[in-house]
Parts: sequence; structure tokens; C-alpha cells
Amino acid sequence: MNVHLEFEAVIGLEVHVQLSTHTKIFCACRVRPHDGKSVAEILVNSNTCPVCAGHPGVLPVINRKVIDYAIRAGLATNCKINPKNSFARKNYFYPDLPKGYQISQYETPICEQGWLDITTQSGSKRVTIQRIHMEEDAGKSVHFNDYSLVNLNRAGVPLIEIVSGPDMRTVEEAGTYLRALHAVVTYLGICDGNMQEGNFRCDANVSVMPKGSKKLGTRAEVKNVNSFRFVEKALEYEIARQIGVIRSNGAVIQETRTFDSAKGVTVSMRSKEEAHDYRYFPDPDLVPLLISEAWIEKVRSDLPELPQQKKKRFEIELGLSPYDAGVLTSSKAMALFFEDVVSALVNKGWNPRAAAKPISNFLSGEVARLMNEGDLELSQGKLKPEHIAEVVQLSKEGIVSSTGAKQVIATVWKTGDTVHSIVEREGLKQVSDLSSLEPAIEKMIATFTHQVAEYRAGKEKLLGFFVGQVMKETGGKANPGLLQELIKKKLSGS
Amino acid sequence: MIEVNEALTRKVMGLAKLKLSDGEVTTFTAQLQGILNYIDQLSRVDVQGVGSMTHPFDEPTPFREDVVCPSPVDTEGRPKTLLSAPDVLDGGYKVPSIL
Amino acid sequence: MEEIIGKNIKMNTVREIHDAFDSGQLSPVALTQGYLEVAQKSHHNAFLTFCEKRALAQAKVAERLIAHEGQVPREKFPLLGIPLGIKDVLTIDGVRTTCASKMLENYVPPYTATVVARLEAAGAVILGKTNMDEFAMGGSNENSAFGPVLHPTHSDRVPGGSSGGSATAVRAGLCVAALGSDTGGSVRLPASFCGIVGMKPTYGRLSRYGLIAFASSLDQVGPMTQTVEDAARLFEVMAGHDPLDSTSSLRSKENFVRTCLTVPDWSRIKIGVPNEYFVSGLAPNVEKSVRTALQWFESQGAKLVPISLPHTSYAVAVYYMVAVSEASSNLARYDGVRYGARPSLASETGDLATFYERVRANFGSEVKRRIILGTFALSSGYYDAYYRRACQVRRLIQQDFDEAFKTVDFIASPVSPTTAFRLGEKSQDPLKMYLNDIFTIPVNLAGLPALSVPCGEDSEKLPIGLHLIAPAFQEGRLLCLAHAFERRSA
Repeated sequence: MNVHLEFEAVIGLEVHVQLSTHTKIFCACRVRPHDGKSVAEILVNSNTCPVCAGHPGVLPVINRKVIDYAIRAGLATNCKINPKNSFARKNYFYPDLPKGYQISQYETPICEQGWLDITTQSGSKRVTIQRIHMEEDAGKSVHFNDYSLVNLNRAGVPLIEIVSGPDMRTVEEAGTYLRALHAVVTYLGICDGNMQEGNFRCDANVSVMPKGSKKLGTRAEVKNVNSFRFVEKALEYEIARQIGVIRSNGAVIQETRTFDSAKGVTVSMRSKEEAHDYRYFPDPDLVPLLISEAWIEKVRSDLPELPQQKKKRFEIELGLSPYDAGVLTSSKAMALFFEDVVSALVNKGWNPRAAAKPISNFLSGEVARLMNEGDLELSQGKLKPEHIAEVVQLSKEGIVSSTGAKQVIATVWKTGDTVHSIVEREGLKQVSDLSSLEPAIEKMIATFTHQVAEYRAGKEKLLGFFVGQVMKETGGKANPGLLQELIKKKLSGS
Repeated sequence: MIEVNEALTRKVMGLAKLKLSDGEVTTFTAQLQGILNYIDQLSRVDVQGVGSMTHPFDEPTPFREDVVCPSPVDTEGRPKTLLSAPDVLDGGYKVPSIL
Repeated sequence: MEEIIGKNIKMNTVREIHDAFDSGQLSPVALTQGYLEVAQKSHHNAFLTFCEKRALAQAKVAERLIAHEGQVPREKFPLLGIPLGIKDVLTIDGVRTTCASKMLENYVPPYTATVVARLEAAGAVILGKTNMDEFAMGGSNENSAFGPVLHPTHSDRVPGGSSGGSATAVRAGLCVAALGSDTGGSVRLPASFCGIVGMKPTYGRLSRYGLIAFASSLDQVGPMTQTVEDAARLFEVMAGHDPLDSTSSLRSKENFVRTCLTVPDWSRIKIGVPNEYFVSGLAPNVEKSVRTALQWFESQGAKLVPISLPHTSYAVAVYYMVAVSEASSNLARYDGVRYGARPSLASETGDLATFYERVRANFGSEVKRRIILGTFALSSGYYDAYYRRACQVRRLIQQDFDEAFKTVDFIASPVSPTTAFRLGEKSQDPLKMYLNDIFTIPVNLAGLPALSVPCGEDSEKLPIGLHLIAPAFQEGRLLCLAHAFERRSA
């Protein structure tokens, strides 16, 4: 975008991560789905108790697992874990906030001063993480014309809020950071990562300033955006909007905005905004948390392999390029899927290094395309690791062409059928035997005598044309590599 | 010494979602001024190096293990927390429009 | 029956009632029925709700149990069949709990406070919920939305607050014992004004789960009884860690009753007398009574040691910053959404902002005043100078006590500068009312255990209470000292 020539964006992101514990942060009500229904889907207000519904006289008791998960997040992002940290009350009135305050952390968050390294087109960058703190989620409301209905099933679900420094300068950096952070929390097993269900919600703080300037512009906050794409779109729009304001000699107002995904614009929430004075003070119902070195070390020793570590391992052990390794480790689901395909092929006698590249090509190629096309997660298609293993095997044996392989994958994604049945049904078997190919080649040579003569005279480029014609004749089923060899031989022979 | 005027009282009323009549605002403002004048003596105490006290004693943190306790329901299976709700529609707490 | 209830209240302790059950002189159902009758007929306005059916059912169970065992199983059910009043600040599942506020006029909690559940598990009978100052904010029980409570013996006087209903009920023989709550003196002050025993335990000794919060770092439930021994009995049943309260102490409970009944080792007891507490403003009768009490301790062999609690004069100011700040936040949940009074007609509701205001108009003026003061103290620009500074001075006040307890075992003082004052006398000037708590407040700020035990009367026969304070978690020794004093011969 041209706008970036004169201006630079400054972006900071606050992500609310819903933790996948069994119970809420301060009471024993459910957080995980059961009987096939998620907490969001069960009967309104049936997942509440006097504590999370904020009845008179109730008190909070902290769920130990929430602290474990918060420490995990801190260690995975190189944070310092505060050995003594406290809870604070954030006071404001809202119908889905039962106590009239949210229990959060203010002066002493559990984790501080970490970072996450990301890689974009322009290279590597370190995004600082100012703090990670624990807090409780609010309920949800549904709005009608002249009333709203409040559902507290979600009230009290544990969150960690991860606050980055204002370190990102482009939409690409922001998107990359978000995806990397999402990978970290899903890899750690502390968050389900389902953005449609609100497991991972992003607030973006963005301002613009003239390129090279030292003085930060006024920032606006775009709240509660629930998909990577929408965050990127919202940021693009907002940056352009702010530049527009400045260019027409206006001043950017510090305000909260929301993203209208249908129209692709950010909208001011100013009319609903009052000057919020949250009156933070230490929560007297919760004693300070003491976290020993031993506790931190135990969490550290139980940490699963993180995206950066896995990526490095893929590069070193499997010989993948940093780019390919990066794509494969961008999500836990993708990385685990990849590893399963490698295992399947190793079981068939493949060398893992040999298997890695073709698998990587399919996953970052056709599979990624299918996911993007439908804006779906890997788990939402019907592809299983065995399918890809088979396609790789068949491709190596020349039984399907590269186009054929893609078609198989696309069909499996939709139907879940076996690779063999698809190859049969859709006639994707590449023709590789001489007895089938020879007649077609002969026919082509007899038809295109002029070009054959030119070829024999030295115009070697025509080989591709010949291959193309035979491919047409065989309905695209001939093995192009083999065909090329046969035609060459035939034409040089006689 | 803080000067309490009606504007400050009204600002604080807004934060606390309390509505006072004009007469009450005047009375309260005067009473608050009196109380705050009394409290002002704290500004003369030497608190250099003194920690802020929220809890009387340093006790270890009690934790709750991550085990589900089913939400309490009455004999007809209705969530007990809903029973005291003044206005419920389709299971949700009904309030004036938030938007 | 009449010999036991109402008239001669010295006969109505837990032990005496259990003896009467055992001897067949008395039955639990008859006892409960008798108390219900007397309480319901009384003019004191001490009770807001009676649990008649529930109480009689509990009494029946007690009766069956005694019949089955042949006697009261005192070990397993230490309070079997004992009728109690519960301050209406504690929740009971299915029983209307109002905090004496229009805001909760028809609120029925879905759960029972831990301390009440423990009393019931010990066999106690809950007669009903006692009147109080609205949301526990007050020192005279004149702030109830359902009318003031009258003093048990002098009906032109206040019983003290905020646990005035419980104090009057016990003294007037409307129940055997009661629970109150104490944030700045609300158990000890009414106990002193009404001539009964009232104890505030160490902060964290009794669970606050189900205690409707006023000031979370100061509130404690306390027994209000006719004798020190009964206070020990109730306290022992209720004490012990509660996993539902994060501020509940993990310390194991002791045999408080046994310790209470032992004889103090007088020669090794030093009682501190704070210089700052015996100043002008103390009613002469009160001072005389308290000094006489101190002389008695001396006569038994204890040493009286003058001590200094230098930050005493700041205690009320600190309290009125810390308590109201916590309260302003604790009372934010009263927004009419999930419970509580609110405009019933849609036409009266208005938009959301108006809705909140109309709902919260159900608070009385003392509550509103404290919410505003607390909101102010926490607000941006004032937090450091007001709330935070008060929390620092609070630490200094606690340190005063820590210092003093290096040289003494207990501290003694009056509970209040005066005896029970007249209705309406102090209610016009909030600050005047607050200064009544000047001796009781420092104890809550420091989290220490303290109790009020009757030590005399003034010229109008109004009771005077002696205030005894012990180091943290030493309720056993405190009860022992108070019990010995109570049992003194004239």
C-alpha cells in the first residue's frame, strides 16, 4: 500500500486466551465441553453457581491449574515469573459482570518481560511481551430491540491476557505474531485455540506516525476481533483511516472501536463509552500467590515441545528449509499431522528425510489451499495422515501425476473416501506402460509431421508441445516424465 | 486538604451508579467534606518505607483442585442461581438494552 | 418453663439446657416453641424473619436423637436443640436474608453460610434472622430499613450496632445465643451496650463464606452469648478452615471450651493498659467500671502494665477509608440483574443507566454515604493519597499491637466511650457516630481477637463492657481470662 511510504504504523496486541481447564478460575463450575456440547451451547445459565453468579456472601478460591497454565505460558514466552503476585479488582458496571467488578491482576501480574521471535517476509523480529496476567471472563449478552438477555455460563471461565509491547510496524508482523502466539498456546495444551468459540480474542492498539518519527501518534483500540483475517483487515482499514484523518489535518481521537466484518470497517464505540475509572485495588478476598522456584521448575520440566523447538528439529533432523518448517509448525494441528504422515511412511520403509519434503509440499500446497478456501481448520476436513502417506507413495511410484495427486487430496478432504477408491473412480491412474502409450505417440508423430521435422532439425523446444499433444490424446493420464523420455527416444531413433 | 464540591460528588455518584436528589447532594457534600477533613490527618503520618496492608496475616494460599462440581439445581432441575432472578426470559436475565 | 425462659436468663446457658434435657425437665420442641412465642410477641423488633416450621423440625430431630441415645450426645452434637438467632447478614438456603435493606427485601439465598451450616450440623435450632444496621453499616441499629431495634431493658436507648438485633435478642431472652458480625466493633459494641458477651475472633478464624460482605479484610462472624463459656462453645463448633474461603486460616482449631474453663495462671499474666485509651471523652462511669475490673485482675496476681499504642488516634480515619473502599466494591453487585429489588414495571425501568440508579436507590442513606466515600477513595487521582495511605497507616497500627504484645499477654480497655445513648442522639452527625468505635476499630484493623464481657453498670443501670484483646489466634487464652473475670465473686 502506498500509504506506508510516508507513514509507519505502531501496533500493540492484547490477546485474551481462554484456558482449557476443567473448571472456572474461582469456582468449580464447568469449562470444558461434555456430552458433546460446549459450554456456549448448553442451556442458558445452567452452568452457574452462587460464586460465579456473584450472589451476596460468596468468595473466590483460585484453581491451581490456572496458575500452572499461566506459568507455562510465561515460560514459553521467556517471561520472568513473579514469585509473589496478587489479584486486583477492576470495578465497573455491566450486566454480564456479576460482581460489578472483574477479578484480574494489576500491579503484580504473574509473568512479565518476555518475548516472541517471529519471521516475516522482511526477516526476523522480536516482539516483546510486557505482561501476562490471569483474570476471569464475563458472561455474554444477546441483544434485542428494547432489552438484552444475560447468560452467565461463561462468567468465571479462566483467561490469561497476553500484552505485547507496541513493537509491530506492519499488518504482516501483527498477523505473524498472532499466529505464532496461537501456536504457542495450543502447543502448550493450555488453550483449545478455537477462535470462532472465542478461545483466543484479540484487541489491537494501533496508531500511525510519519516514517522515522520518534513521537508516537494517538492510538485507537479495536476490540474483540475473533479471527486472524479479521484482525489483519481491521488493522489495514484502521491504519488507512488514521492516515486519512491526519492527511486532512484532523486529529486521531483516542477511542475504542469495533470491527464490522461484513463491511470491513472499524466503527467508533464512543457513544457507549464513558470515562472508565476502574479504581483498581488489591482484592481482599484473595491472599497473595506465592510461587516457588520448585513449582516453576516442575512446570518447566513438563513443558511440551514448543513451535520454535519443533521447527528447528524439522530443519535439522528432516532437512526441511526454515520456510517449510515454519509453515508446518505454524499450528499444532498441522505439525502433529505432519509427524503422523512421516511415521506412516517410515513404517512403509521410507527414510524420514526423503519423506519430509514431498509431504511438506502437499501440506503447504494443496491442503493449505483447501483450508484457506473454506476458511477451515485442518480438523474440519476429512483428511487423515494415512491419506497423505498414500498419495506420497503413489506419486513416487508414478501411479498418479502431480495434478492427479491434488485432485485426490481435494476429494478426500470433502468425502473422506480411501485414496485407492478415488483413484479408481475418477480414473486418475497415470498411464505408464509402453503398450498404452506407444499407439498415442505414433498417432501424434503421424499427425504433426511438420513439427516433427522442425524438431529433428534442431527446434528442441517442441518436445513440450509433443508431450502436451499426447497428454491430450490420453485424456491427461499419461505419465508426463515417462512420455517425454519415450518421445525423445522415438524421435531420435527413426 | 481536599476541597469537596458538588461537582466531585456528582462525578463519584456517576461512578457508583447512585442517584441523589439535589438536596441530598448538598447534604452529602457537606458531610463528605467533614469526614475528609477528619481523614486528612493521615497525610501527616510518616509512612516512609511502610508497606501497604491488605491482609492482616501472611497465610499460605489455599488452592482448589481442578475438579468439576455440578451446578446446583432445585428439585425440578432448574439452576438454583436463577431462582432469585427478578426477570428471566428464555433462561436469560432480562435487562434494559445494553446497546 | 417460665423459670427457664425469659425471666431468669442466667439459667439458659447451653450446659444448663442440656442438663434440663437430660433430666427430662425440658424438651427441645417445648423450648423452641417457647422461645418462638416470646420472640414473636416482643416489641424490640430484634427479629426480621422467623423460621418457625424449620426450627420446629430441627427441634423434633433433636428430640428424637435424645430419645434414641437416652441423653444428649454432647460430644457429637454440642449444640443439640439450642435455639439461636442469626444476624440477617448471613445466608441460609431457602430463608429470606435481607441485610436489613430494601435492596434485599425479598432475597432468598440459594446456599447456606458455612458457619451456620456448622452450627446446624452440631444440632442447633435456628429461630430466625435478627435485625441489624443496613449492610452492617452503623453503630446503633438505627439504620435498618425495617425499623430500629430497641435496647433490651431501656427502650429509649439504642442497643448498639450493627448487630443490635442479636444483642437485644440474647439479653431479652428471645434466644439462647446469637451470631453477629464485627467489622469495626459491631459484635462487641452492642454486647457492651446490652450487657452480654460478644467476641470477635482473629481474622480468618471463622469462615466468611455466606457472610454478606461489608469490608472483606475486616469482617468476622462472632458469637453473642449470655456467658463466656457459651461463646467458647459456639466458637469451637464454627472454627476451622473452610475451603470455600481463601482468607480462612489453615490453622487447626483447638479445644477452646476446655481452655476457657481452666483457671488462669495469674502470676504469669501481664495486662497492658493503653495510655491513649484513657483520655477525656470517656464517660466517668465507664472509666470507673473498667478500672475496677483492672484492679480485680491485679488482685488475682496479674500485673497491669501501661503501654502505648501511638497510632490509636488515626484508627478511625484509617477504618473509614479502608472499610468504605472495600464496601463500595462489595456492594457493586447490587444491580438488580440477578437478584434484589428493582422497578417491576417496564415503564418504570428506563434505559440501562436509569435502571441501575433506580435499583440502587434501594440503599439507605448511610450505605449511600459510605459507597460514595469509598468510591472517592479508590478513584483515579485520589487512590494514593487516600486508600493506599490508609493501608500503610493500618500496617503501623498493627505494628503498635505487635510491639505491645512483646511485653504483655492481653490488652484491656473500655469497649466504648459511653454507655447506650438515646435513639436519635447521634444519628444526625455521621462523624460523631463513627467516633463511638474508637476502641474497637483498631482490633479489626490489626486482625486480632477481642471480646466484650460485662463489667458493671452506670447510674441508670445501663451496662458497661470490658474490652479484652489477645494476640492473633489466642482465643483460647482470651476466653479463659474472660471466663475467670465473669465468674469472679463480688
